[in-house]
Amino acid sequence: MRLGRDGIAGLIGLAVSLSLLPQAFGLPKLPIVPVGPGFYPVIVLVFLAVTSAVLVVQDVVAQRQAAERAGREEAPAASGRAYGLVGGAFVVVGAYVGLLPYLGYRIATTLFVAAFQLLLERPSTLRQWIIFAVIAFGTTAVTYVLFEQYLSVLLPRGRWTDW
Amino acid sequence: MLELLGNALLTVLHWKYLLPLFAGTFAGVVGGALPGVTITMTIIVLLPFTYGLDPLAGLAAMTGVYVGGSAGGLITACLLGIPGTPSAIATTFDGFPMARKGQPGRAVWLGVWSSFFGGLVGGLFLILVTGPLAAIALAFGPWEYFSLFILAMAMVAGLAESSLIKSLISTAIGLLITIIGTDPIGAVPRFTFGSAFIGGGFPFLPVLIGIFAFAQIMGDIEKMRQPSAAGEAAVKRPSLSVAHLKVIGEILARPFLFLWSVLVGILIGVLPAIGGSAASVLAYDQAKKISRTPELFGTGHPEGVIASEASNNANVGGSLVTIMAFGIPGDAVTAVMLGAMTIHGIQSGPLFVSQNPGLAYGIYAAYILAHLLMVVIIWSSTFFVLRLTSVRLAVLAPIVLVLCVIGAYALNNTMDSVYVLLIFGVFGYALVKAGFPLAPLILGLILGDQIEVNLIRAVMSDANPWLFLTRPISGGLLIAAALSVVLAVWQHLRHQKRTAGEDEADF
Repeated sequence: MRLGRDGIAGLIGLAVSLSLLPQAFGLPKLPIVPVGPGFYPVIVLVFLAVTSAVLVVQDVVAQRQAAERAGREEAPAASGRAYGLVGGAFVVVGAYVGLLPYLGYRIATTLFVAAFQLLLERPSTLRQWIIFAVIAFGTTAVTYVLFEQYLSVLLPRGRWTDW
Repeated sequence: MLELLGNALLTVLHWKYLLPLFAGTFAGVVGGALPGVTITMTIIVLLPFTYGLDPLAGLAAMTGVYVGGSAGGLITACLLGIPGTPSAIATTFDGFPMARKGQPGRAVWLGVWSSFFGGLVGGLFLILVTGPLAAIALAFGPWEYFSLFILAMAMVAGLAESSLIKSLISTAIGLLITIIGTDPIGAVPRFTFGSAFIGGGFPFLPVLIGIFAFAQIMGDIEKMRQPSAAGEAAVKRPSLSVAHLKVIGEILARPFLFLWSVLVGILIGVLPAIGGSAASVLAYDQAKKISRTPELFGTGHPEGVIASEASNNANVGGSLVTIMAFGIPGDAVTAVMLGAMTIHGIQSGPLFVSQNPGLAYGIYAAYILAHLLMVVIIWSSTFFVLRLTSVRLAVLAPIVLVLCVIGAYALNNTMDSVYVLLIFGVFGYALVKAGFPLAPLILGLILGDQIEVNLIRAVMSDANPWLFLTRPISGGLLIAAALSVVLAVWQHLRHQKRTAGEDEADF
């Protein structure tokens, strides 16, 4: 039995709901409320389990039909999507979020905007490098002044830099 | 009512409110015009700027984004043939051919004036109907509210473009997220695994921002190496000069088409969680059906532009009715507005208008003035907006992400909200890649707490579960919810049958 993307997603949904259901049943009852704090979660988890199971079944049937059709149709062309860039973007954002409390808003944001620009499009001419620097420093400066000075939002200070 | 509205108009005309309203409308027009940046994204980016503002100033800015964004999409739709927002897709069908025939000014201004008048009629509906609808909503008990929320979720799940079962799973995930943390009645911790990080549950706005912003930005990054229509389209500078009275005359000479399109927009707006894209496409379809010249649609027919633009701006009025009368967001944009209201300690719902008349009428006034500002902004800066469409993703994406991080952090000045943003950013992107629609998840997320509270209240009042069906309004709403799901299944099966038939014919 082969499973496709939907089948795997359905299995994950099923696993999550089935692993949480015992906890929902085990939640303590309250004297003033007739149904207890587990009542609603049980409904939601059962709903998730049933719909996930249906998705798995639908996928198994679809995979079987696809296998029967295999050979009659050509394989789909490669999507040409830049998943590597997406992975890199998540890593850069993750590093930004991770370093923000240590470096502080001003340093971390300047580095983040610079790194993100470099990831997506590396400047090649002097003019592009200047624009690159202006955007990295400008984004930090403008947002910092705007939020700290005018909108009363205290942005994170760095534990390592105290800035 | 008129006195309150007059006072509110004078209040919003004060620079303290007019400036955020102008900024919001301008951001909306720009965000609406930028292909790949939706109104939801624009309002998310604007959100952190509203934290430090007076509640009315913040809501005025958001109303401006909504109105400006609904109209802004038509600029690129007409001049570049690329809809800036999904709600301008139908405008492209006739606006772009009209512009290519040498009438770009007529195309743009037919759209702008249709948006303006459509929005104002939608505003009239908003002002006249919100109060009476709120009065009806006041008569609702927990059974009716529970059933209304179920209907909203069933409709959204049924209308999602992907499979019904995936939409239902998406809804369940949204509901599941709201369960994590302490229960709303007895404050018993649920599924927290002893972690202080999720002990209080996941805050709504960072989850929403993470899911929406990351899914969209990462989706755009994915397509960076594909040839882009926006990148290829040259930003030319055609003359947009036009006889405005003549264009307005063209719209008003078609009163039935205009009013029908507005009605479609309002009704779609009132229905929970269905956005302007459905309104404009449906209005376009209806306009084609009732037109004496349906064969001209798609060739630069003014009726196509009028129908699409009148309906998508009237849709804004309808969506605001739902949020102000029932406390249910009409779409993702009003969901963010609802979150912003909560931040300012304002409870949206049936008592909103009666308890906060100044704020409610302030929103009406901001809505009306935003339409005037939208016309002024488009008149004065169409080409500036067009130039902005050439801003590269490498520049736009990090700036948007920084604003998302500030939006999450500034909620309670802790990094926890930023971690939630990142977690749900990854999760939202994974869901989109797995083919799950986000709209049902968002609605489940918004309504989850309310559904539980009303369900428990109903059971505490009377343990008889049949009351959900035997109380007339509640029963009617549940039947409508069931019919919505049945209709979705039927449409899905019919679509499958047709596709299978086509496959066989091809073979």
